Order: sequence, then structure tokens, then C-alpha cells
Amino acid sequence: MLFLRWGLPGLVVAGCVGYLILSASGGSAEYYLTVSELRTHTHAGDVRVAGVVQNDVQKSDGGLHVTFTEKDGTASVPVDYSGPLPDIFKPGITVVVEGKLGGDGVFHARTLLAKCPSRFSTQPYTS
Amino acid sequence: MILGYFGAGALLAGLVLGGFAALLSFWAGWRQAPLFIQVGRRAFYAATAMVLLAAVVLEAALVTHDFSLVYVAEHTDLSTPTALVVAGFYGGQEGSLLYWTLILGLLGSASLVASASLGGRVGAYAAGILAAILSFFLFVLAVVASPFELLAITPPDGLGLNPVLRDMGMLIHPPVVLAGFAAFAIPFSFACAALLAGRADAAWIRHTRRFALLAWGLQTTGLLLGMWWAYHVLGWGGYWGWDPVENVALMPWLATTAYLHSSQVQERRGRLRTWNLGLVILAFLLVVFGTFIVRSGVVPSVHTFAISAIGPWFLGFLGACLLFSVVLLALRSGNQGAVAERETPVVSREGAFVLQNLLLIGAVAVVFWGTVLPLVSGMFGGERVVGAPYYERAAGPLFAGLLALLAVGPLLPWRRLRRATYRALLWPAAGLALALVVLVVAGVRAVPALIVFPLAAGVAATVLAEFVRTAIRKPRAILRKRRHYGAYLAHLGLAVVVIGIAASHFGQQEKDVTLQPGQQATVAGYTLTYTGLQQRQLADHADFVAAMRFGDQTLEPSRATYAGLGGQALTHVAISTTPIADVYVVLADTGADGSATFRIFVNPLVVFIWAGGAAIVVGVVLGSVGEAGPATELARRRIPATLPA
Repeated sequence: MLFLRWGLPGLVVAGCVGYLILSASGGSAEYYLTVSELRTHTHAGDVRVAGVVQNDVQKSDGGLHVTFTEKDGTASVPVDYSGPLPDIFKPGITVVVEGKLGGDGVFHARTLLAKCPSRFSTQPYTS
Repeated sequence: MILGYFGAGALLAGLVLGGFAALLSFWAGWRQAPLFIQVGRRAFYAATAMVLLAAVVLEAALVTHDFSLVYVAEHTDLSTPTALVVAGFYGGQEGSLLYWTLILGLLGSASLVASASLGGRVGAYAAGILAAILSFFLFVLAVVASPFELLAITPPDGLGLNPVLRDMGMLIHPPVVLAGFAAFAIPFSFACAALLAGRADAAWIRHTRRFALLAWGLQTTGLLLGMWWAYHVLGWGGYWGWDPVENVALMPWLATTAYLHSSQVQERRGRLRTWNLGLVILAFLLVVFGTFIVRSGVVPSVHTFAISAIGPWFLGFLGACLLFSVVLLALRSGNQGAVAERETPVVSREGAFVLQNLLLIGAVAVVFWGTVLPLVSGMFGGERVVGAPYYERAAGPLFAGLLALLAVGPLLPWRRLRRATYRALLWPAAGLALALVVLVVAGVRAVPALIVFPLAAGVAATVLAEFVRTAIRKPRAILRKRRHYGAYLAHLGLAVVVIGIAASHFGQQEKDVTLQPGQQATVAGYTLTYTGLQQRQLADHADFVAAMRFGDQTLEPSRATYAGLGGQALTHVAISTTPIADVYVVLADTGADGSATFRIFVNPLVVFIWAGGAAIVVGVVLGSVGEAGPATELARRRIPATLPA
């Protein structure tokens, strides 16, 4: 009886939470890839790719449209992005782009995040 | 140089005293030796004094620009404004750990001083657990991540604080968040002590609840300040990004919210003891887990903290705490005799609290899964991440359910429904219906908005009806029953926060424009005129200001360049706040011809978030001064104070 009164609603809520988690993460989880993995990745939908910005940044449209090459180890991919750039964006920093690799071989990014080398310190001294 | 040796010495002395306090307190508690309990407790105070000394030394090194210390050289330079040099104490990895340890020691000492009514044994075990936690932090500080490490050659100047952190928000946000994190250790220690001693009576509930409320209040303030800081400094137009750093601060807050409500069931009815102990323990474990996640870099985050060697140590500490508390709960909580005593209808205040707890823990599970998914999926092939859509879809319905409970729950009586309850429910129903009609007439058709706003209106109606009713009948009760009305004020504040979040979430508009001086842009009916570009030179940076006229105000979004930091740039957002909406202007780029490119956001009702947040904090402060909780029923009904061992 006690179980029916309190355990059952508990199980119902737990079931709902489980369903919400599964359905939501199934629908919106994105693969987090390296540039080399991007070439062999076949799954449809947006992915996130981390890599280093190369020295070929081209800005247009008042700085709101940018193209550059993102490199990671030996693999690289051209990236096309529209929107305001993070403050620390410049060649040499690591960025995470979110979007799709187009049929033209260009990665069309919806968002671009800069990974701060360190949020706390600037660059470490070596003692 | 000498300061470095002095500080490191203080940390080592603190470590020795902390370890001694832990061992002695456990032994003295077990043997019930009052003299040694006293000695153990004083050893804890002495360890805290050593941490305080180390903190003073570090602060002195910062203020005197002693660049022989790695920490001072890496986080400040001669051009850093003094207020920020002082804040450098908690601006870096090692210093923030020292600050955390300091707060743990101070709050821990306060909790031990206040624990006289709990009986020697619970106090001794709590001192032992607090001292063990303090010793762990001191060990990490002394051995793994010392803020007193020295450089071989003293540089003439330091590297300076990251420009993002050169902000007044930086002065108050991190210390509050870290203090909140530190405070969760106190309810945890007393919960474990109660389990060890087999005793969780009314005095224990009062003590634990007081410190849980303190931790919750600090964490609420910290979360709000973090949102405020992100909104005003980071310049992406929002205040919450579901980043792991934010998630790990939210989870202990959710768990403690659950505890603050379910502990009332224990106060009133003597039930849910094990559940409450579990919640307090869970909150602390989530804090340790969060610290591990954030500071070890195991999950991808925009905020990568200085990754250092402390990650594995925190993982080990998490494992030890988890094992300790799970074993303790399994062995000592036992079956609570009070539960089967009499059946309670599901539709009652107790039932509402239980459902609220389940929904909150469900929300913790959602956030937890989203945070660890990259880690878990990385172990089984492709690493996957989730963003805001996941959290909105998975946690949204749970938060809507919580909001509905917030409207109805406070009106449900304990134990049994009465006829008067149905009449009282008319208030939230009326508020909800009115808001729904207004929204539909105003042309809102989005289903989530049609759910959230009416529910929030229902919550507000419930609270306001309660205040008005009391103000008419017995106005002095509002001051006398501070805890009750403080909680109601916090509920009202939360409803206002929810309205602000929902409005800015559903109603945000943005537009990118490139303008020549004199040109205008209109977003959501707000017209701004670009007047021109100026350059200003300040102490540590140069500012490009693109002035915009907005009504009779001038907005000055700008881009700062910090020469001392390799020319690092920082965008300063300009925000004009009206009660209806914030006009939020980001300067994206400037052209050689004097043109400027802006991203303009119009964020409705953001000011509600800050106002509602302030009301919550005021409610917590009002509710925690003075009045003792209704922990009287336990004593009256002679529910056994001891847990079955």
C-alpha cells in the first residue's frame, strides 16, 4: 500500500525523466570531432569541430563574415562563418565551430566559440 | 621571497593541525571523551587560523607586487588597478583554492561553535569530517598546487590579469560562488556525523537547515551574479549558456532547494529522514564532482580553467567521499520507523514536497547527463555533446511542473485536504486564467510561452493573496513569522525571475547592421543612430568607442585593446535598460572609413531577472534571521530522536 501511494508516483516521475533525457539527447546531441575525423564522419546533422585558426583569415561584410582554415594535426578544413567574432579570435588560437560540412568541402559554421587558452591566467611562466 | 616561505609554512602547519584535529575528533567522539573533543575542535580552529595567515600572506604578496611568487607574477602586473590586484587572490587556480579553504575553515568553525546543542558526539564527528575535508584542501595547496611557488628569477613585472576578468563583477562573483561551494561541506559534515552517531533530532535539523540555507543563499547570489556578469561582460546577448561550469554550480543548488523543502516534512512530521540526509550528501558530492569536472578539463567547455595537476586528486577525493557517504547511508540510516505510522494522502503538503523533490532530482539528472555525456560517449566511440536545445527539451517540462507545484503546493494543508483549500486554489487559478487571456488577446501563440507565463502568474497570485490576507487580518504576523514570509517572498522573486527568463528567451530579437556615421538602425521598434567613432587612451588599455544615440541617451559600445597582453581585444557591451526591454549593443567591427558594424539585441524584461533575484536573496536573509523553525512537533509527538542503529 505504501508502495502504491509513494513508490508508484516516484517510478512514474523517474520514467518521465528518463524518457525526457533519452528523447532530448537523442535529438540534439552533436558529435564532437577533430578535423581529421570530420572527413570520415557520415552521420547527418550538425557537428562540432575543434582546431587551430590558420594565418589566412579573410573578413568581409563589416567583419561579420569570415573565412579561414582550421587545422588540427595534419588535417585541415576551410571554414565559413557569419556573425560577431569572439574577442580573442586571431590566427593561432583554438576555436570550436558548430555546423555542417557542405558538399563544396567547406565547413559552414553556425556558431564559433573561442577556447580561451586559460580563463584565469594569461600565459604561464616556466619556473 | 620571504613571504613565499612564510605562506608555505603556514599551509604546512595548517595541514598538520587539520590532520591532528581529524584523527583526534574521530577518536574522542568514539570514546566520548569531552576533553579531547574540545581539543580536537580547537585544533580545527587553529588550522583555520593558519589558513587565514596564509591568505593574509598571499594578499600581502599581491599588494606589494612580490613577483618572486609565480602566482603573483602570473595574475597581476604593475598596471593592474589595486582593487583587481586584491581580487587576484581568488582570480587564479591556486588562490581560489586557498580562498575556498579559508571559507571552509571559517564557516566550519562557526558551525562548530553553533553546534553545542547537538551533543558532544555529533559535534565531534562533524569536527572530524570538517577537519578531514580541510586537510584534503590543505594537502592539495601545500603539495600539488601551491600559491606560494617561487620563480628562480624575479621578473620586473607580471603578466597581468586576463582582460575579461578586469571588471567589477569579477570582484564579487567568484568569492560568492566559491563561498557557496565551500558552505555545502557543512551540512554534509553534520549529516554524516548524525549518521555516525546515530542521532538526527530536532536540534540537528535546525542546525543543518540553517547552514544549508546559508549555502543555498550564497549559491543563489553567486549564480545570479554570474548571470549578470556574463550578460554585461561577455557580450553574446544572453546570461546562461548551459556550459559545464554553469551546470556544476546549478546542480548542488537544485539538490539543496529540494532539501530546504523536504526538511520541512521531517520537521513537521518526522519523516523522510534518510532522504534528507541523502540530499545534503548529494549536494556536497555534486560540488566535489563539479570541481573535478571544471578544473581537470575532462569535458569540453568554453571556460577552460588553468588545467593543472589537481584533477586526479579531486577525483580521488570524490571517490573517497562517495564511498564514505554511501556506506554510511547504507549501514546507518536503517528503516525509518515513523513512515508506516499513519498513511498520508498523496494530495497534501507532504505529497507536494515529495513530488517537488522528485522533479528537482529529475532536473539534476538531466543536467548531470548533459554535463557528463561527452565523457561517457567518449569512452564508447564518438564523443558527443549537447547544447541548449537538449536542456530546454529535457528540463523544460520538469521546470514547468515545478512552477505548477509552486502555485498550488503552498496552499495545500498538511495531512488532509479541507474544504477551504479548494477556495484558496481560486487565487492561482484566477491569476493563471487572467494571464492566459491577456497573452492570447495579445497574439501570443507559442505553446511554451502560453504555459510558462500563466504558471508564473499563478505563483505570484498565490503569494500575493497570502500576503494580502495576512496584512488585512493580522499584519504583525508578517514580521513575526519571518521564515514563513521570507520563503513566500523568495517564491514571488522566483516567479519574477521566471517571467524575466521566459520573456528574454522567447522574445529576444537581434539584428546585425553596418552603419556610416549619421545612419540609423531600428530593432523591435527601438531606433538607434550611429554618431561616430572615437579613440580613447586609458591607463592599461586603448578604447575604440562607437557612440550611438538612443532617445536622449548615448550608448557607447567599444572595443578595448590591451597593449600589455599582446594586443588582446575585449568588447565592452552598451546596454540601455528600460522596464520593458534592454537594448543591448555589441560593437563587432570598425572600418577604416569610420563605419561600424553592430549586433543589436532587444532583450525583453531582463531587469525582472535581477529584481526577482534580489527578492529571493532578501527573502532568504529575512527568513534566516531570528525565528526558529517549527521543529516543535517532533518534540511534542515524542518521535524518537535517535536513528535505529
